[in-house]
Amino acid sequence: MKILTTVKKVVDVELNIHVENGAILDKGLQYVINAWDENAVEAAVQLKESHKADTTLVSLGSGDNTDIIRKCYAMGIDNAIHIDDPALAKADSPTFARVLQKVYEAGDYDLVITGKQAQDTDAGQAGIMLAQFLNIPCVSNVIKIEVTDDSHIQVSRLGDAGTEILDVTLPAVITVSDGINEPRLPAMRGIMMAKKKKINVMDLAGLGTSFEDVGGTAPTSEIVEFMPTEKRKGGQKFEGEPAEVTAKVVDLLVNEAKVL
Amino acid sequence: MSPLFMTLLLVVGLGIFARTMYQRILLLMALEPTDRFNRIKDRLKNMVIIALGQKRLVGRKKERASGIMHALIFWGFCVLIIRSITLYGEGYVHGFQLPLLGESSVLGYLYIALKDIMEGVVLIMVIWAFYRRLVVKPPRLHNTWEAYLVLGMIGVLMISDLLYDGARFNLIASYGNPGDLHYFNNPTFGQEFLWTPVTVLAGNVISGFSATGMERVMGLMFWIHIITQLAFLNFLPLGKHFHVITSLPNVFLKSLDYPHDKIKLLDLEDESVWEDETLGVNHLHQLNWKQGLDLYTCTECGRCKEVCPTYVTDKPLNLHDFNDTLKAELYANADNLILRAKLAKILTGDAEKDAKTKEKMAVFKPEKALVGEVIALDTLWACTTCRACEQVCPVTIEHVPRIIAMRQGQTLMQGEYPQELNTAFKGLERNGNPWGIGYDKRADWAEGLDVKLMADHPDAEYLLWVGCAGSFDDRTQKVTKALVKILKAAKVDFAILGTEEKCTGDFARRTGNEMMYQMMATENIEVLNGYNVKKIIAACPHCLNTLKHDYPQMGGHYEVVHHSAFINQLIADGKIRVKKSLAGMLTYHDPCYLGRYNEIYDAPRNVLNTLSSQGLNELPRHGTESFCCGAGGGRMWMEETIGSRINVERSKEIVAENAETVAVGCPFCLTMIEDGMKELNKDEDIKTRDIAELVAEHLA
Repeated sequence: MKILTTVKKVVDVELNIHVENGAILDKGLQYVINAWDENAVEAAVQLKESHKADTTLVSLGSGDNTDIIRKCYAMGIDNAIHIDDPALAKADSPTFARVLQKVYEAGDYDLVITGKQAQDTDAGQAGIMLAQFLNIPCVSNVIKIEVTDDSHIQVSRLGDAGTEILDVTLPAVITVSDGINEPRLPAMRGIMMAKKKKINVMDLAGLGTSFEDVGGTAPTSEIVEFMPTEKRKGGQKFEGEPAEVTAKVVDLLVNEAKVL
Repeated sequence: MSPLFMTLLLVVGLGIFARTMYQRILLLMALEPTDRFNRIKDRLKNMVIIALGQKRLVGRKKERASGIMHALIFWGFCVLIIRSITLYGEGYVHGFQLPLLGESSVLGYLYIALKDIMEGVVLIMVIWAFYRRLVVKPPRLHNTWEAYLVLGMIGVLMISDLLYDGARFNLIASYGNPGDLHYFNNPTFGQEFLWTPVTVLAGNVISGFSATGMERVMGLMFWIHIITQLAFLNFLPLGKHFHVITSLPNVFLKSLDYPHDKIKLLDLEDESVWEDETLGVNHLHQLNWKQGLDLYTCTECGRCKEVCPTYVTDKPLNLHDFNDTLKAELYANADNLILRAKLAKILTGDAEKDAKTKEKMAVFKPEKALVGEVIALDTLWACTTCRACEQVCPVTIEHVPRIIAMRQGQTLMQGEYPQELNTAFKGLERNGNPWGIGYDKRADWAEGLDVKLMADHPDAEYLLWVGCAGSFDDRTQKVTKALVKILKAAKVDFAILGTEEKCTGDFARRTGNEMMYQMMATENIEVLNGYNVKKIIAACPHCLNTLKHDYPQMGGHYEVVHHSAFINQLIADGKIRVKKSLAGMLTYHDPCYLGRYNEIYDAPRNVLNTLSSQGLNELPRHGTESFCCGAGGGRMWMEETIGSRINVERSKEIVAENAETVAVGCPFCLTMIEDGMKELNKDEDIKTRDIAELVAEHLA
C-alpha cells in the first residue's frame, strides 16, 4: 500500500498573535506542524508498521520546511517531497488541492491521509477538494482506520449523531481528527538519523505545472483583513439578599444585555 | 607449627583468592573508563573519614547503635590483620614477631593489649549482631544465610584466637611451659598475660584440660583460625561481603564532583554515537568500571531503601535489589564482557575496517535487555533523584548518576519513557516551558509591577531567574511577586530576562533527554553571556542547581544564589527588616535540590527563626535526611500510579507534627505539599508557604 500524507507549517496559535493594520505582525511568531497533520503522519506511520505501507509526505509552501519534514522523517515517514514555490504564499484552498492533485498523479498512491483542517485558517477544505478533483471517495473527521484488504479500508468517523463506520474502496482521501491517535514524540536517535535523509524539494515547474495551471492566478477566495480577537471582559459580582440580587440580575439581562 | 601444612594452606587459599580477584578485576577493566586517580589528597581524606572513620555508620543518629557495632567489628578487623600476619609467621618460625611489635618494645605490649580487648569487643558485637538479626529483625536487613555464615565465621575467628592464646597461657602458667612456648617477658613491661585479660578469661574457661589436652586444643585452635581465615577470604568476593575488600578502594575512588558524578555532557553532534547507539547506558558494558565497583561493594544494608521516597510508598524501586540484580547480570555475562572488551580494543575508527569486528562484538551481547528485562521500566522511572540514598550509603555508592545514564539510553536511543513526558518535552521544544504555555506570556506575571527587563537594564547587578513555575504557575507566581516585593524593599538592583528566559532543562536532563537539555542550555547560556550576567538569584532549587552545576560544562559560569540565602543576607545586612510576628507552629520542608544537592540548610532556617515568634519546629525527617516531595527527577511531569503518593506521605508527617505553617523553598515542593494537604483535607488548617511569601508578609 502506498500512502501519501500531507503536512502544513502553521503559526503556533498558542502564542499571542499581534495584528496591526489588518495584517499579522511577524513579531515573536513561531511555526509548527499543524497538529491534525501530525495525527495524519502518525496514522500513516502506524499503517506502515502494521501493513508495511510505503509512506510519502508532501508539504506545500513558500520557504524552508526542513525542520518539520525532518520531524516527520524521525516519526517514521519513508519519503518526503516539499513543493517550495514563492507563488504559493498567496494560494487558497482550491489551489493547494490542485497542487496536491499533481503530486498524487505523479505517484501511484492508494490512500491519502490529511489532517481534517489547518490550525491557522481552519478552512478544512484542501483534503476534501483533492478527493473531488481526483473523483475518488473521501471520508472526513476520521478517528479510526482499519485495513480490510488491498483495496478496501474500514474507517470510523465522528459524525453529528455519533460514530459512523464506513467501508471505503481505495484509492481514497481520509481526513483525520485528533481523536485518532496520540502522535509519537520521535526518539532522539530517530531525529538525528533523519538528518541524513533526503528531502525532494521542487517548485511548481519541477512538478510539471505552474501557478496558473493550478488556478492560483484566479483564486476563489482572498484574505482581506486580519482582526485581533477581543479580550474577554471580567464578570460582575453581585452581593446581597437573594431576592434583591435576582431582581437586579434580571433587570440587567433584560435591559442591558438584552438577552431576555 | 608446620611449615609444610602452612605452605599448602597458603598456596591453595591465596591461589584461589588471587584467581577470583583476577577475574573480578578483569571484569571491571572490560567496562567503560572513568578517571578516578586524580586529587589523591582529597581521596585519601575521604577514605580516612568515610571508610576508616566509618562516618556514615556512626554519624547518623537514627542508626548509631548498629553503626557503632559495625565500626567496632571493622576496627577490630583492622587491628587483627597484624595479628594474622604474626600467626602465619608462627606457622614457619616458632615465636615469630613483626619488627617493632616484639617484646622489647612497648608498642608490642600495647598491640597485644589492644588486640586482646578488640577480640573481646568483636565477639560481643557478633553476639549482638546475631541477636539483632534473629530477634529484633530490622526491616531494612536482608536476612540471608550468608549473613549468618559470615557472622559465624567472624565469631569462630575470635573464639579460636582467644582459645589458642588461652591454652597457651594455661600451658605456660599452669603446666610450666612444656613445649617451651614463646611469650612476652620484659623486665620493664612484665609478663605478656598481664596485658591480656580477655585471653586469661578464655584460658580459665578451658582450664580443665590436661597438659596434653591443652596442647591439642592450642594446635587445633591455631589451625581452625588459619583455615577459617583463608576460607573467609575466599568467601568474601562471592557475595555481599565483598565489601570487606572493596569498601576502602570504593570510597577512595568515589567521584569528587559535587554532589556526585556529574552527568556526562554527551556529544550529540557525533553521528557515530547515534549509529552505534552508544549514548547513555543501554547495555551492561556501557557501565563504567567504578559503577561496576559500586555494585561489587553494595552490602545490601538497606539504608538506601529505608530513606527512599519511592520504596516507602511501595514503588518497585528497591535500590539494593537494583544493585544486586545488576551485579548478578554482570557476573553472569562476565566472560562475554571480557571477550567483547578485547575486541573493542582493536577498533580502528574506520567504519569499513571495523564492520567485521563490530559483528563479532555483537555476538557477546547479553541475552536480556538491560532495561526492560533485567531492570523493569517502572523501576528505572520511579526515582525522584532525591539523593537520600547516596547521602546515607556507608560505602558511597552513587545510584543517581547510574539511573540517569540508563534513562539517557532509554530516552535518546529507544524512545522508551513514560509517555506523559511527551507533553512536557513538546512544551519545552516549542515554548521553552514544560506546560507548553506560549513563551510570549512568560513575563505576564510582572505586568504592573515595574520589574525591569534585562533588555532595558543590561547593567543590573542581579538577574532574577524566575523559572517556569514562577512565570506560568498561578500559585508560584505569588512567590515570584513576594520575592519582587522583598527585592524592591531592599532596593536591590535587579532585572529579569522576560520572554528571553527558557526552562533551564533540569527535568529534561534528569529524564535522560540530553538533547532537549542541551537545546535549552545553549539558548539560555547564549542569552546570559550576551548580557554578561554574573550574579543570579533563583527561587527554584532545580534552576539553581542546573545553572550552578550543569551550565559550567557548556560555558555558563555564574554566581548563583537561592532566594532564601539571599533574603537571609538581606536581613543580616539590615537591608530589610522583618517582624517576629509569625504566630503558630512553624515547620520547614527541605527541598532535595536545595539541601542534599547544594548544602543550603541553615539560611532558610535562619530566616524562618527570624520570623517565627515561637521558633522553627523541625520535622522528624529534616536536613540531610529530608524526605522528597516526589516531584524531582522529572517526576513532576509523570503520573504516580504505583503505590501510595509520596507527597501525601510527606504531608502526613507534617500533619503529625501539628504544624500550622509549613515553609518550603521550591515551587515543586510547594505544589506537591499543598496538594498533599488538600488530599488530607488539611489545607484549611495548615498553610504551605514559600519562604519569600512569609518574609514579604512580615516585612517591617
